[in-house]
Amino acid sequence: MMELTNITVRYGDKTVVKDVSAKAETGQFIALVGPNGSGKSSLLKAIAGLLPHDGTTSLPANRRERARHLAYLAQNSTAPATRLVEDIIALGRTPFVGPFTKLSDKDMRAIKTAAKACDIEPFFGREFGALSGGEQMRVHLSRALATQAPILLADEPLSGLDPFYQISILNILRETAANGTIVIAALHDLELARRFTDQIWVLHEGQLVANSPSSASLTTDLLKDVFRITPDGNIAS
Amino acid sequence: MAFVCGVAIFMSLFIGATWISLREVLAGLTGSASEPVNTIIQSIRLPRAILAAFVGAGLGASGAALQGFTRNPLAAPGLLGFSACAALGAVLTLYFNFPHFITPAAIGFSLVGALAMTAFSRRKPGASGLVLAGIGIGALATAITGMVMNFAPNPWALSELVYWLMGSLKNADNADVLVAGPLTLFGGALLCLSGPALRVLGLGEETARSLGVSVGRTQLLIVLGCALCIGAGVAVAGAIGFVGLFVPHILRFLTRADEAWLIPLSTLGGAGFLVLIDSLIRATSGPGTPLYLGIVTSLIGVPFFLWLAWRQS
Repeated sequence: MMELTNITVRYGDKTVVKDVSAKAETGQFIALVGPNGSGKSSLLKAIAGLLPHDGTTSLPANRRERARHLAYLAQNSTAPATRLVEDIIALGRTPFVGPFTKLSDKDMRAIKTAAKACDIEPFFGREFGALSGGEQMRVHLSRALATQAPILLADEPLSGLDPFYQISILNILRETAANGTIVIAALHDLELARRFTDQIWVLHEGQLVANSPSSASLTTDLLKDVFRITPDGNIAS
Repeated sequence: MAFVCGVAIFMSLFIGATWISLREVLAGLTGSASEPVNTIIQSIRLPRAILAAFVGAGLGASGAALQGFTRNPLAAPGLLGFSACAALGAVLTLYFNFPHFITPAAIGFSLVGALAMTAFSRRKPGASGLVLAGIGIGALATAITGMVMNFAPNPWALSELVYWLMGSLKNADNADVLVAGPLTLFGGALLCLSGPALRVLGLGEETARSLGVSVGRTQLLIVLGCALCIGAGVAVAGAIGFVGLFVPHILRFLTRADEAWLIPLSTLGGAGFLVLIDSLIRATSGPGTPLYLGIVTSLIGVPFFLWLAWRQS
């Protein structure tokens, strides 16, 4: 289980995440949704320990220990174009290996398992820059899974992907959650969020305004007040 | 690469105003040759070759580490102000006629520049902050160096400063080796230590931090390592440009941009390259004005670098 208590993030005078408190249960796939600028990325970064914040999380404060408990998939993830796919995935084991030590058998198994989960073993031996955008995202996701952390945060993992890769990534995330990982993903597509996730957290102007099962979360009033749209996908008047 | 570097140093012992045979070189190394040959090998050519190796090693390691940290292929000690700060320190000692203090001044100013970069980039940690601070501080150091030259008391003093800034190893001796060697080794070790963290930083700062990498600690290792390597190099050889930029570029293909390998390889590559260039200068220089090392590294490096960039595109 992971617990957030009164998380508040400020950029100078501006408060972008306000007093967010929530619990995530083991094996839950949670969609973090909200309009642009609602604070989704800031909340994920605060949970990952990448932004200074008020409030507490149930995660370890120590940087290396936290890295073992939480894997983070950044928005617009990048990697050197000439790096081999398997070398990028292996970096997911960084929290467990010393700077000049070789990967253990356990590390190698974790890398293979992660690559298999994302179906990218056929890309081993290829350079990262030679892959398509969708394939690259699967490599990044595989790198995050290789950590085998009990919590996975993914910041807009579907951005820029075609429908095939969007659904492919969501399937992998759902499977990861089914295997006992807490998965929290910032998503923009409300329909996909409703279809694939167990729970939806709705952020509006930095505040958590809804936290309920995906099937019941996006009410007509919420869609109108937060997203300014109607249930049938038109602009709300 | 270590073998190539060793061969380059050994070959450089043959080359110079007087060509010396293999048998005489070996005898000169053990001190059993004639007195002039012993002196040429032990007091002139060997220290010069070793010093060229140290200076080149420092430039190569610094360039690889800075390019890795900033994830910018244009980053180099010259661009980020390390060389300019060290040169300012050295020029000030020449201007005020304290030539014996060149080494501590170059290293001191390089360290002060490095600390200023770290302080200025504290509000904007990471690669972009260091690049901005480095370019700014480098420009300031270059401007002050220009001002010092502007107020040179006479044309001879000015020409001394200008020639010194062109970079040369013609006055290299064993004392220089004893100063630059340990400092470069220590600085190079700090840079090599940053390699594994830089490998992860290739995934972006946020991802690296989420994987437990301390960006601040890595930056400190790199800034101190560069300050020691470049300060020591500038102190004994003047400003030598371009080696730190293009040596890591060439070797990047061999290591697939993995800094944990690229930094040690660039250290050896920079060392071998500068020994070769310095040998070339000694072989081609006549009794008149000798070619300056900093000029030749750019004359040879730039066309090769442009060819490499053209081939990549």
